[in-house]
Amino acid sequence: MQLITNKKQDKKSMKKDNIKALLTLATTALLSGGAQAETPDEDSWEFDTAFLLYSEVDRVSAGEVILNATKTFQDEEILNLKLTVDALTGASANGAIAQPNVQTFSRPSGKGQYDVAAGETPLDDTFHDTRVQLNAQWTQPIASDYTASGGVHISKEYDYLSLGLNGNIAIDFNQKNTTLSIGASYFQDTFTPEGGIPKPFTSMLIGDGSVSWDDDDDDDYSQKPIGWAADFAQTRMGSEDNKTTTDLLLGFTQVINRQMIMQFNYSYSMVDGYLIDPFKIISVVNDGGLAQDNVYENRPDQRIKQSAYVQSMYHFDTTILDLSYRYMWDDWDIKSHTIDSRFRIPLGDGSYIQPHFRYYQQSAADFYAPYLMQSDFELQNKRPEFASADYRIGEMATYTLGLKYGMMVNNGHELSFRLEYYHQAPTDGGFDSPSVLASEELYPTIDAVIAQVTYSF
Amino acid sequence: MKKQTIVVLFVTILSSGCSSLGVEPWERDLLAKDEMSLSSSPVDNALDDHIYFSKEASSGGKGFGGGGCGCN
Amino acid sequence: MNKQAKAIKNKRKVTLAVREDSYCISFNAMASPCEVLVETDSSILANKLGKAVADEVWRIEDKYSRYSSSSACGNINNSQGKPIAIDQETFLLLNFAEQCYQVSNGLFDITSGVLRKVWRFDGSDSLPTKKQVNTCLAYIGWQKVFYDQHHITLDKGMELDFGGIGKEYAVDKAIIIAKKITKLPVLVNLGGDLAATSPRNNNQAWQVGIEHPDFFNKSTGKHEIKTVIVSLLKGALATSGDANRFLLKEGKRYSHILNAQTGWPIENAPHSITVVAPQCIQAGILATLALMQGSKAEKFLTEQEIKHWAIR
Repeated sequence: MQLITNKKQDKKSMKKDNIKALLTLATTALLSGGAQAETPDEDSWEFDTAFLLYSEVDRVSAGEVILNATKTFQDEEILNLKLTVDALTGASANGAIAQPNVQTFSRPSGKGQYDVAAGETPLDDTFHDTRVQLNAQWTQPIASDYTASGGVHISKEYDYLSLGLNGNIAIDFNQKNTTLSIGASYFQDTFTPEGGIPKPFTSMLIGDGSVSWDDDDDDDYSQKPIGWAADFAQTRMGSEDNKTTTDLLLGFTQVINRQMIMQFNYSYSMVDGYLIDPFKIISVVNDGGLAQDNVYENRPDQRIKQSAYVQSMYHFDTTILDLSYRYMWDDWDIKSHTIDSRFRIPLGDGSYIQPHFRYYQQSAADFYAPYLMQSDFELQNKRPEFASADYRIGEMATYTLGLKYGMMVNNGHELSFRLEYYHQAPTDGGFDSPSVLASEELYPTIDAVIAQVTYSF
Repeated sequence: MKKQTIVVLFVTILSSGCSSLGVEPWERDLLAKDEMSLSSSPVDNALDDHIYFSKEASSGGKGFGGGGCGCN
Repeated sequence: MNKQAKAIKNKRKVTLAVREDSYCISFNAMASPCEVLVETDSSILANKLGKAVADEVWRIEDKYSRYSSSSACGNINNSQGKPIAIDQETFLLLNFAEQCYQVSNGLFDITSGVLRKVWRFDGSDSLPTKKQVNTCLAYIGWQKVFYDQHHITLDKGMELDFGGIGKEYAVDKAIIIAKKITKLPVLVNLGGDLAATSPRNNNQAWQVGIEHPDFFNKSTGKHEIKTVIVSLLKGALATSGDANRFLLKEGKRYSHILNAQTGWPIENAPHSITVVAPQCIQAGILATLALMQGSKAEKFLTEQEIKHWAIR
């Protein structure tokens, strides 16, 4: 009868999945092709607002607010604007070590002192600062498979100004399964610390902080200060200094299969200029371990950091695993490993929970020392060129354990809560502890809680 | 220097072996989800980066790690 | 059919019904009962969604219905051989029809609608003559259609019939609109051609009943309504079937699915085929192509590893 001519079909020899694949292509062309022809709807702005609280036990607390706005235009151009405001308060370690007696230190400004009880890690609680930061980033396709992005950054605290630029190009290959990305950024920071820039390795003066002048006319500031104030001024070398940071980033993203995507990054960073922490001192101790002096720290004026980073995202049936590893090495001899993992578990009604685990480990900078031996410090040829007791460049391991809960509200908007525990454990990198110090806590651990609320709409 | 050679080799091997990896456009249903984006929570990442930049000696890796604030 | 179509058009109203954990918005379009299910407790959202979907479905119906002389389709069909201007959406649909024509080796052809002038599937034995069919064939042939991004030209007497893809296309466009309005699970069902934006809450599947009205049960000898309960987690579903429109002559059943190249019906096709695919229009085409394989309909789909079920 008049049946379909099977012969014709056989001639074309349609392989398995051929029809399915061809139809899928045709369907995609039909449905997504149409979407681009539509006019953009009024709601193409997306907002994220977040509030974060960071609080260390007995130490620093910080609050941070972020307002992030993203607008996607018709031709896939994207504008991103971000406002960040943060406030810091509380006490942080000044670098000196604990002693079996009460210690007195001067505040950074030189005006006023504070005492630290016996056996306690010296903490300076002078710091309360508010910072405002603005970022703007523009991304747009510049040719098929080529996307360019550029942005600016401004950050201001009362004693710090940071200006930055960044740019990058992303190239897609292989039906957008592979993406190569090259980027660079440049930051210029100016630091105007309270009390001015201290001369490295000069002693921290403990005085009454009073200012006296050559004669009694207090309104004549052209006079030179005398007495303690003059001595304090001697320990300073200017009121401000700056540093520049140049970063280069090479990225490679690859889709592995329908469920998995990976990213590999290499970055090179050169920081040049004033890298010292002007508020940090280092204790100079005698053979018995008793502090004889506290001197301002000194660090090199350049630091070159490199890192290799790999990340993979894997979609199981309903859950998603995000796992990444970063290895960092620099010319201060610091090497670090970071493992970060997040596991997203959808709960069905549009909500999800996401446990988070991060482990970090770093080795000490070659000039890190928890304290200096007086015998070494006072001899010209035995004094190290650089020294810092800042535990943040010492040997340390940290881990973070957290949980995030996200839910849908008001028809498509997302509200999420994040609670994390961050444990920092500086460790002994093999420094001998002379007698008195052996019974002091030289490497106190720091525990912090992080709490965050985010609303996206 | 040795480390840099390793990194370059790694990337070269990856790019040559990668022409066989990937998916067709119609297999992107899972990858297209927001949650599967390599930076699915940029706000969380920015906040965390700031914390770890202030408290540890390393920064960046995923993105730029440069300056920005006086917290380190 | 025309009168029925007009009557349904006059009933353009959207009704809201609240269910245990969702809202159901119903309306009539494309000669079928349509519904939108959304898992929400917000009547405002349900209203907004229902109206947007209904408006879109009616828009497509008005634009591509061959029953209306003022529609885009009507304009094309009345062009008398002159070029007619088309918009981006029509251009994309024509591209899609072209792809289907290629993939089916000419079996699926949207110019084959003229055959309805000689074939009337009323269950009787009145077959057209070969001459009548051949006369019709002169006005069929996608290869005779010329179109580009802005115009289409049909020979005089030729017609386009979007009936084979219109409803499924409307489902897919409705899903796109639903996804823009809400991230909550939504199911759009236009008379048995349906799709879901995502699984239901708690990763459950949608349970949809597909009715086959006027189903003739051979064993009881009666006309019944057969309902198949379909479980859909995500993706789309389309049914191609005859709803018992056929001709019976000398013991042979001629289904209403016509081979566009010969002008004659496909023999021994199942009563209906239901296909599951990521998009509705894809499911619809696969179901139609399967039916065109006649007795080999199920095999065709099995070989392609496409989920389906058939009623014979």
